Amino acid sequence: MMNWRRWFSRNKKWEQDMQDELRFHLERQISANISAGLAPEEARRQAVLQLGAIEGVKEDCREQRSGFWLESLYADVRYALRILRKAPGFTTIAILTLALGIGANTAIFSVVQGVLLAPLPYNEPERLVLVWQYNLMLKHPISVSYPDFLDWQRDARSFQQMAAYDSQDRNLTAPGTPERISGEEISSGFLNMLGIKPILGSEFSPDEDKQAGAPVVLISNRLWRNRFAGSSDALGKPITLDGVEYTIAGVLPTNFRLLGDDADVYTPIGQGDPLIYGDRTIHPVLCIARLKPGVSVAQSDAEMSAIQARLVELYPSVDRGLDANVRPLKHEFVADVSGTLVLLLGAVGIVLLIACANVANLLIARSAARTREFAIRSALGASGARIVRQLVTESVLLSLAGGTLGLALAKWGVRPVLATLPGNLPRGENIGVNLSVLLFALGVSVAVGIVFGLAPALQSSLTDLQASLKAGGRSSTRPHHRAQSSLVIVQVALTLVLLVGAGLLFRTIRRLWEVNPGFDARHLIAFNVGLSPSANKNVASMRAAYQQLIERVRNIAGVTAAELTILFPLSEHQNIGPFWVGSQEPESSAQAPRALFYWTGPDYLRTMEIPLLQGRYFTEADTASSQPVVLIDSALAQAYFPDKDPVGQAMTIPHWGPVRIIGVVGHVRHWGLDERDAYTQNQIYASLNQLTGDWAPIFYRRLTVVVSTPLDAAAVMPAIKAAVYGASGDQTIYGVQVIQRSLAQSLSSQRFPMTLLGVFAGLALLLASIGIYGVISYSVIQRVHEIGIRMALGAETRDVFRMVVGQGLRLALAGVAIGAAIALALARLLSSFSRLLYGVGAADPITFIAVSTVLIGVAILACYVPARRAMTVDPMVALRHE
Amino acid sequence: MSPSVEILQGTLDLLILKTLALEPMHGWGIAQRIQQVSREVLQIQQGSLYPALYRLERKKWIHAEWGASENNRRAKFYTLTKTGRQQLEKELADWEQMSTAVALILQRV
Repeated sequence: MMNWRRWFSRNKKWEQDMQDELRFHLERQISANISAGLAPEEARRQAVLQLGAIEGVKEDCREQRSGFWLESLYADVRYALRILRKAPGFTTIAILTLALGIGANTAIFSVVQGVLLAPLPYNEPERLVLVWQYNLMLKHPISVSYPDFLDWQRDARSFQQMAAYDSQDRNLTAPGTPERISGEEISSGFLNMLGIKPILGSEFSPDEDKQAGAPVVLISNRLWRNRFAGSSDALGKPITLDGVEYTIAGVLPTNFRLLGDDADVYTPIGQGDPLIYGDRTIHPVLCIARLKPGVSVAQSDAEMSAIQARLVELYPSVDRGLDANVRPLKHEFVADVSGTLVLLLGAVGIVLLIACANVANLLIARSAARTREFAIRSALGASGARIVRQLVTESVLLSLAGGTLGLALAKWGVRPVLATLPGNLPRGENIGVNLSVLLFALGVSVAVGIVFGLAPALQSSLTDLQASLKAGGRSSTRPHHRAQSSLVIVQVALTLVLLVGAGLLFRTIRRLWEVNPGFDARHLIAFNVGLSPSANKNVASMRAAYQQLIERVRNIAGVTAAELTILFPLSEHQNIGPFWVGSQEPESSAQAPRALFYWTGPDYLRTMEIPLLQGRYFTEADTASSQPVVLIDSALAQAYFPDKDPVGQAMTIPHWGPVRIIGVVGHVRHWGLDERDAYTQNQIYASLNQLTGDWAPIFYRRLTVVVSTPLDAAAVMPAIKAAVYGASGDQTIYGVQVIQRSLAQSLSSQRFPMTLLGVFAGLALLLASIGIYGVISYSVIQRVHEIGIRMALGAETRDVFRMVVGQGLRLALAGVAIGAAIALALARLLSSFSRLLYGVGAADPITFIAVSTVLIGVAILACYVPARRAMTVDPMVALRHE
Repeated sequence: MSPSVEILQGTLDLLILKTLALEPMHGWGIAQRIQQVSREVLQIQQGSLYPALYRLERKKWIHAEWGASENNRRAKFYTLTKTGRQQLEKELADWEQMSTAVALILQRV
């Protein structure tokens, strides 16, 4: 490999040789011409003419060299750098504009890459699938009953392995202070299927994954470090979960996350409560499977449907109405956000287009000024293609510089972007600047440089040589001007599209804030309690401990009400079960209607200020020995008692029995203000005081305390903590939620894109106004002569002002009209595919009118300065100047 | 001046190779020789002669060396290489075949 210095010195010699050869040729030709009888001067002229344009000949010769492209690239780059350095203002503005555009694109792409494109962090993730049961009546995929899962596991041939898991919060009481932690119940072999190895110990054996198996647990790396100081002695040590002692069988790697859930303990699902996992009517688990090599998702889907059909025949009273579905794991994982992310990528792409249009505009203005330079170069023999290549080199250099700066912006900018992300964005931890992001930034920079450089370059190569030379670079601006105007119209149109998008989401959020959540969210705090180990033994002890705790909390000054519940709105938890009304028992439990079940203390509805519409609330008189009663919400009342009074009617709740409806309360927005993920609107409230039997311990372990207080959460929490700590001094508070904040959080799926679209729209507005300003100023300079004549002929400064602003306004109006049409089409698309809009039509006139007004206003402002300048034109000076 | 004919690029290569088959020559000499031998019919575009020479040199059909010219100036002389000679033969054969074919058609019609 030749080194650079030698390469350049050889290159210099080659260049010298070529020049010498051509000089020799000319000399010989001149002397030949003189011999033929021409005067020396004429002989030289003829010789030069015979050879042709000397620089062109040289360039043609250079092109024959093998390293020519590299060499000419080097020359082009050097020349381009010189040119750019000579115009520092232009260069700076162009690079900054591009850096903004490319930086924003790179930042969003790094999010898309991390969330949507990067493979899941498991072994051969493309073969991993989720298997759902599908409720044909609800038309909704649902999680799986464990007995059905075991039958699937036994019969299915499409999969190398199938595994089940279920999230269960656990009360950790030893070692260390009590705490409620998140846990997962998982099948044996689950980690092996994902390709994950514990860093210590090993995962469960099939023998441990069944009832009466040895109680073993895998713990997270975090728990291992916090409670066992990261010591390898932890293996075989006991930890107590929900009063049961488990032996630690393994420790998981630091960054292991089970599909986005960040649990601390993993126990064998086969040892789970038979009440939940032994009942075919209960659907608690998610099923993940690994396809055998060569088996497609569709093939496995067909097999699973057939297997489920056999189960329906075997267990008609339970499974009739259920199908089974197989879906790629990654799709299920990110489907919710993919629409939003693609939308944002599109939006940020528009920002880049607008930025490119700005730089292209600057380049056109410059190339008009450089017409003379190009004319001289082509007179010296440079071909049109050669000049175009030179100009594209300049623009690619600009965009590479912008791209580098943009990459730095993105690296710093990704963090604030992440901060505005919804908390539940899957795989958020995966986002960062990596090789694919780098390649993206590079690719975009080069592409952008070629695109915005090529248009003006082609244009200048087309301009008439002779005319430019004669006019000294001031004529032939007409095509330039037309191109600039079209670019401005495009910019305005694209900006309007972004403004409309941001505006529609803004209106959506305004609408959602106006939605009544169905309860008084302003004064509520919810928290979990780690009960003292002495209280955590059985239902009676737990009930007593909670009862005392609630009383103590109620007595705190500033607390208006406090109550227990297993479920509260916006908590992202759910407890869905079947029910039926009167004697209309469905053929199978899968075909029964579903409702959210709130098992609560008797004072819950008052604490939450959920309004009573008919009948009565629970009282202390509703006990285990009195008639079982429930309250229903208005949605259930309307759906199942459309023409009669529901109060006093009977309904049946499986696992409990016949119950009587004592009241109707208002519907609560359990799933978030837009209820986008709701698959049942029905809500049923039952009193914990009537809860007995096997289910009681399960529900008591999940209790949450809700407190209503007009005080600030921070002001009242110390007193609440003290009260909870109370009796034995070993009860602690976890998972404190201020409901008002959860409410705001529930808007994040709209607020996240709205914030970013707003930023992009603002950026676009800024760039477009710079674009308009640039074009109008340039046109004023070009038209000084014309303006001078007009003024000399009696035009008022007012007329000149109106003329200039009118010119800008015409461009803006054309852009707004085109943009409105595009925005309308895109907004329709947006509302149809992503459920992002709520209570706002795609063609919302207020949004369209408001953003058009803003855009036109900004356009007029951008014209103001050049218009003022036009007014100060002195006709005498202008005319003399020409 | 007699009417002149433009030379196609491929033909120019052939003419250069044929000219150099006689003896090493510099660029201007090649141009002169072609013009004279064709009795001034073939006017070489001098501007296209040098790129053609560089192209042939890159293909290693001709070889360049600096030497002294007839008027004792430093000039670059081109020599036909071995592969260049083979190429010349091949192109001559092609040319023969082509011109015979064209002649046949022109006679018939």
